[in-house]
Amino acid sequence: MPILAKPIVIATALAYFVVVLAIGVWAARRTRTSKDFFIAGQGIGLLVTGLATMSAAFSGFVFIGGPGLTYRMGLSSLFIAIPVSFTAGLLCWTVAKRLRLLSEVRETFTVPDAILHRYDSRTASGLAALAVIVGTVGYLGAQLQAMGILIEAIFGTREVLGVWSLPAAMTIGLVVVLVYAIAGGMVAGVYTDLFQGAIMVGAAVAVFYYALKSGGGLAMISHRIVSSESFGPSFLDPLGNAPVYTAIGFFFVFAVGNLGQPHMLHKFYMLDDPRKLKWLPLVIGLTQTLCVLIWLGIGLAVPALVAAAKLPPLVRPDEASPTFLLNFAPELLAGIVFAGILAAIMSTADSFVNIGAAALVHDLPRAMGRRITDELFWGRIAVLGVAIVAAVFAHLYGDLIALLGTFAFGTFGAALAPAIAVGLNWRRVTAKAAIASISVGMGLNLTLEFLSKQTFWAALPKPPLAPGVLPAAVALAASFATLFVVTWLTDRRGRAPLAPDVAAIMEM
Amino acid sequence: MKRAAIVFLSIASALILLSFLPGLRFGPVLFAVLAVAFPVALIALGAARQGRLGPLTVPLTLLLVILETSLVGMMILRGHVIDGPWVAGLPLAAAIQLFGMWLLPLGLVALVYAITFDSFTLREEDLGRLERLTPPEPTSDREA
Repeated sequence: MPILAKPIVIATALAYFVVVLAIGVWAARRTRTSKDFFIAGQGIGLLVTGLATMSAAFSGFVFIGGPGLTYRMGLSSLFIAIPVSFTAGLLCWTVAKRLRLLSEVRETFTVPDAILHRYDSRTASGLAALAVIVGTVGYLGAQLQAMGILIEAIFGTREVLGVWSLPAAMTIGLVVVLVYAIAGGMVAGVYTDLFQGAIMVGAAVAVFYYALKSGGGLAMISHRIVSSESFGPSFLDPLGNAPVYTAIGFFFVFAVGNLGQPHMLHKFYMLDDPRKLKWLPLVIGLTQTLCVLIWLGIGLAVPALVAAAKLPPLVRPDEASPTFLLNFAPELLAGIVFAGILAAIMSTADSFVNIGAAALVHDLPRAMGRRITDELFWGRIAVLGVAIVAAVFAHLYGDLIALLGTFAFGTFGAALAPAIAVGLNWRRVTAKAAIASISVGMGLNLTLEFLSKQTFWAALPKPPLAPGVLPAAVALAASFATLFVVTWLTDRRGRAPLAPDVAAIMEM
Repeated sequence: MKRAAIVFLSIASALILLSFLPGLRFGPVLFAVLAVAFPVALIALGAARQGRLGPLTVPLTLLLVILETSLVGMMILRGHVIDGPWVAGLPLAAAIQLFGMWLLPLGLVALVYAITFDSFTLREEDLGRLERLTPPEPTSDREA
């Protein structure tokens, strides 16, 4: 698409950037303390917390990577998204209440903070911070990659810049994220999320309507896909295009792994009143479900349009969303939807740069027995470093956005979910068990991911797993198993008495 | 119920690892059945008070039944897209995935959580107890 061929799309996207930057500038004036910077001063209401949690969780991964993965592997990919039906409840019952109550009695900004208070172990907290940094680099990388593809599509930079187009587009997105993340911290992130969340929901519903309309309705879309040689019946079979290990592995990792996602868990600290947790699963679950409609709509419509020869086969599956929007949505709607997708990416990216920065300047130094005096200043410096490393990593990783996101999500889930979810609900879990679980979860996910992807050393073995097994699923199960085994082994000798306030919260 | 959830999670995590080994004929089925039950067991672990689920016993059992039935349905219908029945413009297996595993649990979980919140999940007496635990002067690190 030549630059300026779609002026309304470009104008809408630019208007969006201006609004987001304005929120960043406004938020910067309200960010005075590290509590403001990291958990928005713990003064956020139900709707903002719900939308912020939803928009931090949903990102380029859902809006760009999801339809791309569906184009590649059919409805099996939806097992990533459908756990949203109950994960908000899972989060609230299992961890949200206790994390929020913990932040009432102890200074708690981060997930490693919660681990420190629960286990009274700086080693466990430091390892959790390390896992947060590793996962942040992967997840933030996925957002920057998605943003690059979107900016390429909107501004048509590929025709002008050639192979430098994607790196240049990623750099533009990186600069915008950095401006408001450095300036406004979590205050900017949360208030931008309110604006962004509303755009995301509206955009997803609208694009779902146009996706069905462009394909002639759901029945016509299904029949075109089934009778196509390129896609065929297995595309619409939930367990048809991918091994059970992969399809249900997605379900397992994205349902259970939710419990270890710091960008979601952080939001629970910010809620101004724990009573407001009551309606949080409804707000999060409903808005997430509405957003997933974009995944379902474009994921089904684009293969049907390709099958009907209304679109050429995609060169890169991740181009499914931009291609559909530029060719089948009204120009104004396309602009709004692009802004909505940018909104999703930006809000997640912003959450991650702040979480990564908190791990670097708050959690890791404390694990080593030190405390940085000016966390606000160094937090902003750390944001810059984390974002640049993530951009370089994403460029080198060179895989689908959804797969990069799966790796990052898996790292968080495997490293943190057992220690948080089981540890906050079962008194017998020991610090040694948490340390072992975090180490195994993080180490195994990185090792299996590396072994399954690396091509540098032919002598290195592939992981000894059945075909289709996800490294993240193995790491997650192994992390849980480790937590239970080490707890049984160390319970009698290794369990220190819980602090009275922590013990009381675990009983509530 | 809490003890049952812990025992299940311990055994299930080990069996899931075992199911990943190559060459196991029933590995995929074993993994799928356990993986779908795993999050429900975690909800039971987190929701239990004094080891009991109280008013959540029936809804959580229903959630487990819905998810496992949907999974079994999709497995039985695997490879029968063309010759099987269609519902709402989709093959039955896809309809089960979208309605059984997605939309049905959404309503159930969100509403049950809200309805039981005040009486079971976070009671006023909990908040009173929390107030007594809260430090009188919260720490502040104002830096500006």
